Amino acid sequence: MSTPPLSATYYDGLQARAQPVLLHVADGALHITGEGIARRVALPNVHWPERTRHGVRVTHLAEGGELHCTDSAAWDAWSQNIGLGEPLVVRLQQSWRGVLASAGALVALLLALHAWGLPLAAQAALQLLPLSVDASLGDATLQAVDEHLMQPSQLPRAEQARVQAAFSQAVAQAAARLPPGSVPDWQLVFRASRIGPNALALPGGTLIMTDELVYLVERDTDVLTAVLAHELGHVQHRDGVRMLVQVTLLGTVGSLVLGDFSSLLAGTSALLGQAHYSREAEHAADVAAVQLLQAAHIDPAAMVTLFDKLTALRAAKDADAAPAPDSWLGIAFASHPSDTERVRFFKQASITGKGL
Amino acid sequence: MIEPHFTDTIPLGLPAASPTTKATHPNSLGVTFTGSGSEYFRIWIVNLLLTLVTLGLYYPWAKVRRLRYFYGNTLLDGAALDFHGNPKKMLKGSLLVALLFGLYSLAGRFSPIAGLVALVVVAVIAPALVRASMQFRLANTSWRGLRFRFTGDTSEVYRAVLPLYVPAVLIVGFMAFAAPVAGQAPDTTLFIASMLGLVALAVAVQPWTFWKLKQYQHNHYAFASLQTRFTATPWSFYKLGLKVCGFALLAIALPVAGVAALAFTTKASGALRGLGPLTVILPFLLMLLALVAVKPYAMSRTQNLVWNHTRNDNLHFHSDLRFKPLFWLTLKNWLLVLITLGLYWPFAAVAMARMRLQAVSVSTRVAFDTLVGQRSNGSNEAAGDAAGDMLGFDLGL
Repeated sequence: MSTPPLSATYYDGLQARAQPVLLHVADGALHITGEGIARRVALPNVHWPERTRHGVRVTHLAEGGELHCTDSAAWDAWSQNIGLGEPLVVRLQQSWRGVLASAGALVALLLALHAWGLPLAAQAALQLLPLSVDASLGDATLQAVDEHLMQPSQLPRAEQARVQAAFSQAVAQAAARLPPGSVPDWQLVFRASRIGPNALALPGGTLIMTDELVYLVERDTDVLTAVLAHELGHVQHRDGVRMLVQVTLLGTVGSLVLGDFSSLLAGTSALLGQAHYSREAEHAADVAAVQLLQAAHIDPAAMVTLFDKLTALRAAKDADAAPAPDSWLGIAFASHPSDTERVRFFKQASITGKGL
Repeated sequence: MIEPHFTDTIPLGLPAASPTTKATHPNSLGVTFTGSGSEYFRIWIVNLLLTLVTLGLYYPWAKVRRLRYFYGNTLLDGAALDFHGNPKKMLKGSLLVALLFGLYSLAGRFSPIAGLVALVVVAVIAPALVRASMQFRLANTSWRGLRFRFTGDTSEVYRAVLPLYVPAVLIVGFMAFAAPVAGQAPDTTLFIASMLGLVALAVAVQPWTFWKLKQYQHNHYAFASLQTRFTATPWSFYKLGLKVCGFALLAIALPVAGVAALAFTTKASGALRGLGPLTVILPFLLMLLALVAVKPYAMSRTQNLVWNHTRNDNLHFHSDLRFKPLFWLTLKNWLLVLITLGLYWPFAAVAMARMRLQAVSVSTRVAFDTLVGQRSNGSNEAAGDAAGDMLGFDLGL
C-alpha cells in the first residue's frame, strides 16, 4: 500500500530556517526528504499532533526538530492513510456528539456532586475529625463572639436558672425516649448583644441565648426550650464543622470550573451552593427540634409564637418599610428557609403531634 | 487569583521574519491568532469533565491540550508557536504546589501563629517559583523549531520583590514590638501616625514593585542569539497607576452620582421605597463595573506600556491595544458568560486572546533564517509552572 507523500515544513531544531519537505512512512519509520535533507526517524520517536480544526499541526521529533503542516485536510487524509489512531479524548473533543455527551455528563456530575458527593464527603470528613476539633473551634468562636459581638448578660441569675432548668428537663425527658446518641452534650450561656433577639449553637455544644430573646418571648420557657432544641439539633449534626468542610470543598470545585474566568463568579456560585446546604441544615435542625419537643411533651407550636413575635418586632421597628416578599433571588441567597415555610412546618408538627 | 488567566493562554511573542526577508531595512510583522471559540469550547468541556472525574489528576493533561491549542493558533509570520511541556512531569509539580497551598490554607484555621508561619514560608518561596515558572514556560515554548529561554536568575527576582516585602515586614514588626501597652496612652497618636506612614509607604511603592517585576521578566526573554531589554522607566509606571486610579474614580463616581440624583428627585415624589433593593445590589454593581470597565482600561494601558518598551538593537515590539474595543468585548463576554452560566467562557477566552495578541506587532532587521539555537539547560521544573497558575501571576503579554 503506497500513500502519496505529504508536504510539510521542517525545522531541524538547530536553526530557525524553514525547509519544505515531503513526508512518508515506511519500514516503521518516518522519512523526511527535501533539498539536502534525508532524515529517518523511528516511529516511536515521532510525537504526532492531535487533530484540531484550526491551527497548525506540529509534530515533535524526539531527537530534536519539528514538522509543521498548515493544510489540515491534507494532514488528516494522510494520517488516516498511514493508519494513525487517535486517543479517545481527541475523538470526544472533535465530535459534537462527544461534546454534547461530555457536557451532559459534566452537568450531571456537578448536580450529583452537589446533591450527594459533597454532603457525603463532608460526612466522611466528620467521621475522621474527632469531637475535640468541634470543641476547640467552639471555644475560639465563643472568645471571638465575646470580644466583638456580645457583652455579659444582664438577665437575673434566677431567670437564667429557670430557663436552664426547663431546657434540662426537656432534654432529659427526650434522652429517655429517643434512641441513644440523639442528644449531645451541651451547655447554655446568656449574653447581652446588639444583634438583638437570637440564639446560636457553637460547635462542641455551647448554646448562646441573648437576653433580648428571653424578653421578646416574655420569658416563656416553652418557646425558649423550642429555640434551644433547634440549636441543639445543629450541635447534634455538627453543622459548624460540616459547614467549614463544605465551604472548602465548594470553593475548590467552584474555582476549578469558573476560576479561569473570574474568581468573583466562582465565589458567588460557591455562596449559592453553600446557602442551599445551610437551608437544608436549618430544616434538619427544625426536624430534630420537633422530635425533642414531642418527646418532652411540649407543643411544637411554641416555635410559631417566636416567629409571630419576631414579625411583630420587625414591623414595629420600621413601620413604614414594605414587607419583604419571598423573592426567588432572596431565597437563593438565604441561609434559612423562609419564615412562612418554617411556621407551616411547626404548625403541621403541632397538629400531627396532637393526633398521636 | 483575581486575574483571569488570559495571560496563561497567551504565548510570549518574539519576533518573526519571512524566510524571504533579507534583513537590511526594518520589516513590520504582525501576530495572527486563528483559534476558534467553538473548537476551544469542545476542548474545554472535555478537559473540565476529565479533570473533575479524576479529582484533578487530569489537570496537567488538560493544561497541555489547552496551551498547545492556543500556541498552535498563534502565528508569527505564518509560523506557529508550540508548547512542549510533559504532562507527567507537570503532574508532580502540580501535586507539590497543591499540597503547599492546602497546608497554607489549613494552617490559618488551626492557629494565627501557624497561619503567619505559612504566610512567611509562601512569601519566601514564591519569588523562586515565579522564576522557575518563567523558565519552564519559555524553555517549553518553541518557534521555528527553536526553544525560547528565560535568562533571569534567582537573586534578581528576590531583589525585585524587596520593595514589596520590606514595608510589609516593617508593618508587622512595628505592630509586634511598638504597639502601645495599656497605660501608655501618650504613645497612641504617635503609633497610629507611624502606622499610617508605613501603610502609605507600602502603597506608594506599589508601581515601583510592579515595574521591578516587569523589568525582571522583560529583560530576560531570549530566542537564539537575541535577548530583549526593558526600557520603560519607573516614572511611567507611576503615571500608569495614577491614570488607572483616576479612571476608576471616574467610573465609580459617575454611576453613584446618577443613583444619588435619582434618589434625590424621586424623594420628593415619595417613590424612594422602590430604591430600597438598589442600595443592596449597589456594591455588587460597583464590583462588576470595576471588572468590566476599570480592568480592561488597566489591561490595555499596561500591555501597551510594557510591550512598547520591550526591544533590543535590532527589533522592537509594538502594542496598540485600544480601550474602547476591549471594553465592549469585556462587557459582551461578561454578559454572555452570566447568561449561559459559564458555558460562554471558552468563546470569551478565544476572543480576548485574539484581540490582545493581534494588537501586537514587531519591527525588526533580523534575518531569522540565519539564527542558530543556543544550548539551553532545558528546564524541567514543572512546579514553577503550576505555581504560576495558582498564584495567578501575570506570566505573559
